[in-house]
Amino acid sequence: MARGTALRLRGEFREDTAKALAQRLIELGKGAEIFDDALVSRLGPAAGLACRLLVRNGVFVVIVSEHVEPDCECKCIALDPHDTPDFAAEKILDMLAHENLVSIESHDYSPDEEEEIRRRLADIGYIE
Amino acid sequence: MGTERRRIGLKIFRMGNRSKRLLVIGLDCATPQFVFGPERFELPNLARLMSEGCWGPMQTCHPPITVPAWAVMMSSKDPGTLGVYGFRNRADYSYNGMTTANAAAIKEPRLWDILSQHGKKSVVLAVPQTYPVKPVNGWLVGGFLTPDTKTAYTYPKSLKTELEREVGEYIIDVKDFRTEDRHGLLKRIYALMENRFAQAEYLIRTRPWDFFMMVEMGVDRLHHAFWRFTDPSHPLFEPDNEFRAVIRDYYQAVDRRIGNLLQHVDEDTAILVVSDHGARAMHGGVCLNEWLMRQGYLVLQETLEGRKRIEDCSIDWSRTRAWGSGGYYGRIFFNVEGREPNGVVPAASYEAFRSKMIEEIEGMKGPDGSLLGNKVYRPQELYANVRGIAPDLFVYFGNLAWRSVGSVGFSDVFTFENDTGPDDADHDFHGIFILRDASARTGKVYPVVNILDIAPTLLDILGVPIPSDMQGRVLQ
Repeated sequence: MARGTALRLRGEFREDTAKALAQRLIELGKGAEIFDDALVSRLGPAAGLACRLLVRNGVFVVIVSEHVEPDCECKCIALDPHDTPDFAAEKILDMLAHENLVSIESHDYSPDEEEEIRRRLADIGYIE
Repeated sequence: MGTERRRIGLKIFRMGNRSKRLLVIGLDCATPQFVFGPERFELPNLARLMSEGCWGPMQTCHPPITVPAWAVMMSSKDPGTLGVYGFRNRADYSYNGMTTANAAAIKEPRLWDILSQHGKKSVVLAVPQTYPVKPVNGWLVGGFLTPDTKTAYTYPKSLKTELEREVGEYIIDVKDFRTEDRHGLLKRIYALMENRFAQAEYLIRTRPWDFFMMVEMGVDRLHHAFWRFTDPSHPLFEPDNEFRAVIRDYYQAVDRRIGNLLQHVDEDTAILVVSDHGARAMHGGVCLNEWLMRQGYLVLQETLEGRKRIEDCSIDWSRTRAWGSGGYYGRIFFNVEGREPNGVVPAASYEAFRSKMIEEIEGMKGPDGSLLGNKVYRPQELYANVRGIAPDLFVYFGNLAWRSVGSVGFSDVFTFENDTGPDDADHDFHGIFILRDASARTGKVYPVVNILDIAPTLLDILGVPIPSDMQGRVLQ
């Protein structure tokens, strides 16, 4: 099973960043859970253990609550206040990709799209 | 120019009074003769920016084409360093391995990448070579190499839904460009421009940006479709035609939309209006591969019945020494022994063969028997680096007065028709540059501005360190 990991986000826009990051992880086929104050409150003392169990099962746990200590290794990330939440999420993904925890998709033209663009460029006159 | 010199230059030439924000309005192909020249159009908003700032013609890159010019401008790296020599580039030394140079082809950081690293937020709207979209600290809408609006053409993805809801469908480019229905085409060019400025006005109001850049492609499409109706030097110009004022009217419409956009920025915002190249009358086409065949450099295995794209021809590679591709400029590729699969030009005589080819093309005479004035360049003499697979030669027929026709099956080397439809203009080496910022540059009229100097100048305006490998320098 692929590894998960626990990430603690710190900074002004951590909740928005956590949402953007979780969304991107899910798009990449990963499991993701956000541990915010509401969830941590519901889990009570078991929140730290829940983190560990999720990570062990390949889930990326994104912690934005200060009221939980995960019962596993956790990366602490200080967000740059100048970054948009989406861009901050992409930076974290880059870091995870560097550690081989995720593989970021690369978009390029399909053969049909390549042909459509070639035809369009010829139509405009750029190529012939 | 060495790194050390650039750093020293920065200290000396730092222009002071940095702006908080920067707005770049790109007008693809906007040409100096209509904005700066003695017969310039009445464009009050651009004129105001010129009087409050600095301006001049901008020397673009080789080749003077949208791709790679905008990427050159935004990276301050020449096309050879980018490894992008036009829209379509050889991916390998095979005979048919041409791929489109989209955003994935640009490996060097562009302005918004550098600004993202420094915590500045950018809006990047329809700048060429930004699809497939890459993350930016801000918001990005892919340029006209976006294949379809069904694709994820924005960053973040949610921006696409928002823009389509608030502004309407994204018009990527002018559809059905090759047509004799000029009225319909003109409507579609206007629709493209209105769509782009509507998106810009929405984003400029709703996003907290430090750097905002948009590119409007309609000017380029307009020139190609309507140049003959405006320019008396065009061979097909007819006085008193119904489209005589079309280009002027369009420039004035763009000027009004720029005026609207400027209402959303304050005096602390630096403003750059810039184009990637200019335009000039196209006098005809030179059938590059026809010429190569007649010179014995290109041999087909088939007898042609009508016109055909060179890519669709059966070529006798064992007897072919060179072939070409067309567009607004020509590119010639050599079939080199040990490099191409069936190469025949000995590597040892490569340079001699190249020199001979240059001499022959520069000596080409036009239909009237006078020299055509062709310019031919080796990539190595144009660029600081030659990365990727460059053509062996660049050719500007009539120094861009004639386009390069790649297809074969013509009865002559010269053609005055375009088998893909009407096209009146070719590109030219000078675009426009108008910068209003609170600096010592105010009031200057530059004889020429180099495209490589734009990115470092903009970084300087925003107070962001200039990467040492940028090839331009801050404008004085």
